[in-house]
Amino acid sequence: MSTVARDVSPSPFNQLASHHPIGMSTGVFADARKDWPGLVERASAISPYAIELSALSGPELPGLLAYLRSAPALPFRYLSVHAPTKNVEPDEAKVVGMLAQLPLSARTIVTHPDALRNPRNYRVLGTRLILENMDTRKDIGRTAEEMGTFFSLLPDAGFCLDVAHAGDVDASMDVAHELLDRFKSRLRHVHLSSLAEGEHVPLTEEDAARFSEVLGRCRDVPWVLEARPPEAWRSALGAMGPPLDPTTAGERM
Amino acid sequence: MTSARGVLGLEEAAKITLGNISSARQRTERRLAERRALFAGIPIDDDATVVLTGSWGRCEVTESSDNDSIILLSGPRREDARPTEAQVAETFDGEPPGREAIFGKHVWLEDLQGKIGREPDSNKNLTRRMLFILESVSVCGADVHADARRALLGRYLSANVKDYRPPRFLLNDLIRYWRTIAVDFESKMRARDGEGWGLRNAKLRLSRKLLFAGGLLPVLECYRYRADEMLEFLDERVSVPPLDRLADAFLEHDAVDTGARVLTAYDEFLGILNDRAKRDELKTLGPSETADSELFAHIAGLGDEFENGLLSVLFDDPALQKWVRDYLIF
Repeated sequence: MSTVARDVSPSPFNQLASHHPIGMSTGVFADARKDWPGLVERASAISPYAIELSALSGPELPGLLAYLRSAPALPFRYLSVHAPTKNVEPDEAKVVGMLAQLPLSARTIVTHPDALRNPRNYRVLGTRLILENMDTRKDIGRTAEEMGTFFSLLPDAGFCLDVAHAGDVDASMDVAHELLDRFKSRLRHVHLSSLAEGEHVPLTEEDAARFSEVLGRCRDVPWVLEARPPEAWRSALGAMGPPLDPTTAGERM
Repeated sequence: MTSARGVLGLEEAAKITLGNISSARQRTERRLAERRALFAGIPIDDDATVVLTGSWGRCEVTESSDNDSIILLSGPRREDARPTEAQVAETFDGEPPGREAIFGKHVWLEDLQGKIGREPDSNKNLTRRMLFILESVSVCGADVHADARRALLGRYLSANVKDYRPPRFLLNDLIRYWRTIAVDFESKMRARDGEGWGLRNAKLRLSRKLLFAGGLLPVLECYRYRADEMLEFLDERVSVPPLDRLADAFLEHDAVDTGARVLTAYDEFLGILNDRAKRDELKTLGPSETADSELFAHIAGLGDEFENGLLSVLFDDPALQKWVRDYLIF
């Protein structure tokens, strides 16, 4: 039994940890790439409610597809897959074909606008496809106007708000608000982390304060952590596993 | 700042268009007018009202909606009450009542009002009472309908209601009804060998949840009122469709974004229900077929979005969360 007293006046930073549901992106565990059972175990030890299975690199996708088609008993109420955005098979139709074969237990399939060569190829994914806004390293998909171009080509697609990306484009968070103003009804989940030199790193207290108003508009959707959770959140998350290795690499997601 | 309330108010505040809800409302009004004209030629006792429940009361009639009616009589019990059950059935094109025989029957207000709880409060009695309060609309006898609904609310509020607290008797019966729906779903599906499972499950995830939430939110909102003001408040709330009650809750609790997602999910669901091919596909699905049905997976997703938004306003709003904590579990 824990002897640690619960904080009765949580800071805004710790209040965010009480959001429900929070889930992990398996992209955080870069050392275990392609070991899908192992990745799921590590993610579910932090949160058994939501998960994003990250096949960011093209060669990871066939293994993920095989794993999910083996119908593993997974605890998550919300399961998302991040489609490849690096080292992607040149034949886009083949990639989309594999994504379309993902079992329907994968509620959403996230991808980046800049990864779409011919957006119309992705229409077959229907409402399962969700598009994520980009950061300043990309030259498209960063603002509401740029995202609007893609949604006009993919009218059934949902929206994933990457708060750190939006904050990178505009530190005032106006861009994030504009994205929500325009695509609020499409919002399916949030990607949450801070950014350091283009890599996703644990959310800082400073960013938590900067993001909190935007996150307040997203209280009813899952938040997927794209970096290890801040240690201060472990109690609120009810995380069961050992503390995460603080050297866990960030990832460009 | 919008001055409109309900669904229209949320559409304005969120700058969204909910086309399927709007179409369903127009269809409901048009068909209600047709039915009211038909009943205008039928002799009806002064204490009688014929109401339609379900999608009619929710103002979301589809091409396939049934005429689930209740013939309510508020006066003394008698054999020769008008309209007769046969007249009502005939007016609704001879449509037979459902297998549970809940609809199309004479129902006495004294039963709905006087038999709340214990053995005499049968499953039918509870169902009719809740549908009458939460989602009914009159095709004749509008005054009797309004008075009877108010009388039923008044019965619940006569039991130990305190100022600025949700009325527990009504809340408990409402929760009992929702749990009864969920338990009976399993029982009905066993009895019917899974027939119609997909469509009924979809309705459980959205329409039935709307029915419950459309009662739950106003009952919790009673924390704003003195005991002697609650009847007026609740009577006004149940006089508008449940989706309007939900929309108002999102507007009043500063949750416009969440409300937009909740109503957009419901709007899409109504579009599916009004599509005959999709509706027929849902009807054929049993529990074992849903894993491979893109349509069912889509509806399950809409159901989750709908539920998550409702849970968010209940558990994340600083005012409501206290009442949810104090009243919803025990």
